[in-house]
Amino acid sequence: MSNEVRIPKVGSHHGTVASYVIGFVLSLIFTLVPYYLLVHKTFGKNALIVTILVFAVLQMAVQMLFFLHLGREKKPRFNLAFLGSTVSIILLIIVGSLWIMSHLYHGMSAMNVTDKVVTDEAIYQVNGVQAGTCPGGTGKNYEVMMMDGRVTPDHIEAHVCDTLIIVNHDSPTRNIIYGSGNNTETYAGQPGPSIPRGQSAAISLTEPGTYTFHDKTLSTMSGAFTVTQK
Amino acid sequence: MKEFWLGRLSLHALPHEWFTIGGTIGFILMPLVALAILIRIKGWKWLWGEWLTSVDPKKIGIMYFIVAGFMLLRGGLDALMVWLQQALAPSTSVLGAAHGYLSSDHFQQIFTAHGNIMVFFVAMGFVFGLINYIVPLQIGARDLASPFLNTLGFWLYVGGVVMVNMFFGLGGEYAATGWLAVAPLSETQFSPGVGVDYWIWSLQISGIGTTLAGINFIMTILKMRAPGMTLWKMPLFTWGSLCSMLMVVAIFPLLTATLFLMFFDRYLGMHFFTTALGGNAMMYTNLIWMWGHPEVYVLVLPAFGVFSEVVATFSRKRIASYTSQVVGMLGVTLFALSVWLHHFFTMGAGGDVNAFFGVMTMVIAVPTSVLVFGWIATMHKGRIRFSVPMLWFLGFIGIFALGGISGVVLAVPPADFQLHNSLFLVAHFHSNVIGGVLFGIFAGINYWFPKIAGFRLNERIGKNAFWCWIVGFCLSFIPMYILGIMGATRRLDHYDASTGWQPFYIMMFIGGLVIAAGVALQIIQVIASFLQKRRLADLTGDPWDGRTLEWATSSPPPSYNLAAIPEVTTRDAFYEFKNQGGLPKTQYEDIRVPYNTASGIYIAGFAFATCFAFVWHIIWLVVVGILGIIVCVIARTFNDNIEYTLTAAEVEKIEEDRKKRTESQVLEDGEDMSVWEFMKIAIVWALGLIGFKRRVHGN
Amino acid sequence: METEHEPKGHEAASDDRVGFGFWVYLMTDLLMFTVLFACFAVLRNNTFGGPTGRELFSLPSALAETLILLTSSFTAGLGMLAARLGNKRQVLGWFGVTFLLGFVFLVLELKEFVTFVYDGNTWHSNASLSSFFTLVGTHGLHITFGLLWMGVTLAFIWKRGLDSHLVRKLTLLSLFWHFLDIVWIFIFTVVYLMAFLV
Repeated sequence: MSNEVRIPKVGSHHGTVASYVIGFVLSLIFTLVPYYLLVHKTFGKNALIVTILVFAVLQMAVQMLFFLHLGREKKPRFNLAFLGSTVSIILLIIVGSLWIMSHLYHGMSAMNVTDKVVTDEAIYQVNGVQAGTCPGGTGKNYEVMMMDGRVTPDHIEAHVCDTLIIVNHDSPTRNIIYGSGNNTETYAGQPGPSIPRGQSAAISLTEPGTYTFHDKTLSTMSGAFTVTQK
Repeated sequence: MKEFWLGRLSLHALPHEWFTIGGTIGFILMPLVALAILIRIKGWKWLWGEWLTSVDPKKIGIMYFIVAGFMLLRGGLDALMVWLQQALAPSTSVLGAAHGYLSSDHFQQIFTAHGNIMVFFVAMGFVFGLINYIVPLQIGARDLASPFLNTLGFWLYVGGVVMVNMFFGLGGEYAATGWLAVAPLSETQFSPGVGVDYWIWSLQISGIGTTLAGINFIMTILKMRAPGMTLWKMPLFTWGSLCSMLMVVAIFPLLTATLFLMFFDRYLGMHFFTTALGGNAMMYTNLIWMWGHPEVYVLVLPAFGVFSEVVATFSRKRIASYTSQVVGMLGVTLFALSVWLHHFFTMGAGGDVNAFFGVMTMVIAVPTSVLVFGWIATMHKGRIRFSVPMLWFLGFIGIFALGGISGVVLAVPPADFQLHNSLFLVAHFHSNVIGGVLFGIFAGINYWFPKIAGFRLNERIGKNAFWCWIVGFCLSFIPMYILGIMGATRRLDHYDASTGWQPFYIMMFIGGLVIAAGVALQIIQVIASFLQKRRLADLTGDPWDGRTLEWATSSPPPSYNLAAIPEVTTRDAFYEFKNQGGLPKTQYEDIRVPYNTASGIYIAGFAFATCFAFVWHIIWLVVVGILGIIVCVIARTFNDNIEYTLTAAEVEKIEEDRKKRTESQVLEDGEDMSVWEFMKIAIVWALGLIGFKRRVHGN
Repeated sequence: METEHEPKGHEAASDDRVGFGFWVYLMTDLLMFTVLFACFAVLRNNTFGGPTGRELFSLPSALAETLILLTSSFTAGLGMLAARLGNKRQVLGWFGVTFLLGFVFLVLELKEFVTFVYDGNTWHSNASLSSFFTLVGTHGLHITFGLLWMGVTLAFIWKRGLDSHLVRKLTLLSLFWHFLDIVWIFIFTVVYLMAFLV
């Protein structure tokens, strides 16, 4: 065993047991306090966020002072200068990225257009925010058949976020028109679909109420659906 | 079984098109042949012992120059190919291409490779070569802080160079995504081949080498200056290098992290930047430009440092305001980190964000201008010598200013919405990179060549080369500015003749040929200077009447630079010593010299193997590579025997020997040879080769 | 082993340089983590319908990991004090404890990862989990390399005894270890604690 160890001046520290113990105890406190504050929901959300971040920064400072012995090197204090610059750059990167990325999201399109696309296509989430009126996908499917000039069943009772599927088992193409007249009314922003022979169309039932529909050429071929909130 | 050993490698990966066959011959086989010839002439032991395992920053600097020079040829060829395609596109269709002579995919790979090679392997290589050679001499140090990190950084850089060339021989495709491989185009969904993987790893391995070198240079400049040389007495090239290296350590970690994230998306199916499952491709653009913008300042700050030295020396005056120069460089360094969004004004962050970054971008023109006015003020009332380095500086002023002004135009977000990704942008950044970085490198090489080689470069041919570059640059890039404003987008592999753009593109290609002539002349300049070594020799070590410490050594310096490190009291330390009648009397002392080491080569070799294994999904090789790196690092870092002592007596003997040799040399008389004289010599030599063969076979 | 010929000043200067250089390296490592933190901040809620951190994380487990790593940082510090006094036995003791605590930390972290993967919440599932696994996993990888470094250095100390070169290595290693604990403070705060707030 060598006892002639020269004390290397790496990082220039003169730590003592006391400094490490103080650092350790303070760090323990700065870890446990925010933990318990959070678990017991002592403050409101925003206050808690600020609090736990402040404690994190405090603990970092404690560890830098007591474990890393920062600031005790002799001049020029390059280590401290580099740390300060790095922390500034870190803030620039994090704050800059968050600022830019959130603005990019808001600039994606006019919000009403985004809302419409999201609703129509039942998109679950945009930029981490739950969107659309039908979370977790759609609900039940209700099938309605168009055959031999009749709609079977001619009335459907469904809930918001269910899907109405109209199947055309008839020979000609069936053009669905909402309402009773020949005006192009819409349901949930969309006009009625045109369904070729043997095909089907799916309608997301996102708006509550009772609606009728009929075929464009054969107005007696009609049906209705009632959509209620869950 | 085959899949286990070879991953995704197959016979199909070998070259089988004209493009890849040509590339293999030009960039893989030819350098290997050149290397083989070198080994045949000088021997492997010489190459390995004197150069490859050397930790002397002077030798490493020269190796950087050689590799960067070779890559300049490839990058330039890429540029000519792009211009040729664009000049031919509306009217030609050959070699199986729909337009011009290149398929769209090849064209995209060529401009991607051009960008990567020029930024990472040419500019960074030359800059590191200069810093390695000159900074220790300028600050009176013997070596860098860590000779081992120096050689490791160099070999990692070489690993990147090999990787960016090897796709010709294995794989046949490079990234076709533009030099920054923006997501989601670079994701597996849209770029399923190995091209983007080669891109990732060539940048990653050389990027890590750069970071290590940056740390090394910072350690050296901050901790190893001559006694008495405070930061405010350092030469300005050292300041430029310091600012550049500070930026390197600030931003290359960002690149490393971003490349890893792209790697995770492609290999591990993660979703950072994908189009589905929550990924955000715009975040990639954000991150990559956080690196990408400061990178250009990394390249240009050492060039600014070169110009500070050159202007002062060739105006025979000290720099007009040292403080302004330092403040200017620091100002550029500081602001460079807060402008990155100007590369994606059009991505849609809105008015507030765009305004902030637009203003910051304009602000950065201020410290840059401080530097430019400082140089011009230095010239004022100086006794200017229009030698080649000074000519490069004057060329820089014109072209870089043009680039700077067009940059301020682009900094205005509404203007940028029209000009983003147009040829105006391309002309802007080439004006800055060629006018600033490349001309700075050329000035530096011409300025310090006598120190490095022991003889100066041919002035006549140097001036010819300079004028070719200026004329070629104007022919190429002024039409480019105009085309950009007319609406031409960048990276077009074809366009309709009815746009009326073709004459401009043809002019750009001709300009490119003139630049190529300039490069050819630079190569001729070097060869011609070799041929006239004795006429151009630098016997004093101070051919330009320099002002800084590197001129105090002999040309070339001994391995330990200065026999005794003087105590410095002023700026322009060497100039001061000359005024006082010379350097203080040499007190010889023992010198600790690091041993050569192959550990840099071994670690870089294992790193290269790991990267190659990642490209081809060869898992066993990944494991072997990583283990190899770990074992070699442990072997090197736990090895305590890494230096030996050169005793004072030995140093004295080396100095005496050299003095005797220099004193016996006589400078040959006569003029620098002209291009035409060189051509005559070359033709006679070539004929001699043929003639010799004829003599053997004929009689 | 080589004996020193050069004057004390030279080796002190060399240690100062190396220490500073290593500090600069730590700064670059911090910046690399910053990119990972930035991605996590931007992508943390992009769960694409999958479970959020609030539903996945176990705060008690994260607290345990935090306290274990903090303690290991403390014992590393005590080990450094012993190293400076040349006390080989104490060095091996304290750093041995540090190694064990670090190892337990890794085991707990791996256990968490395995649980997530077993339940189908992998890094392919969505951007939020990709950034979680990358940020926390990269820290874990650094801890692994730290343990490897520690093991090798302790082995050399055990065989060769303490000397100035090995003490220098321990100094750099303890710098690295303290720095990893500081990064973990922010992972604990931003990843685990904040999952219950945002």
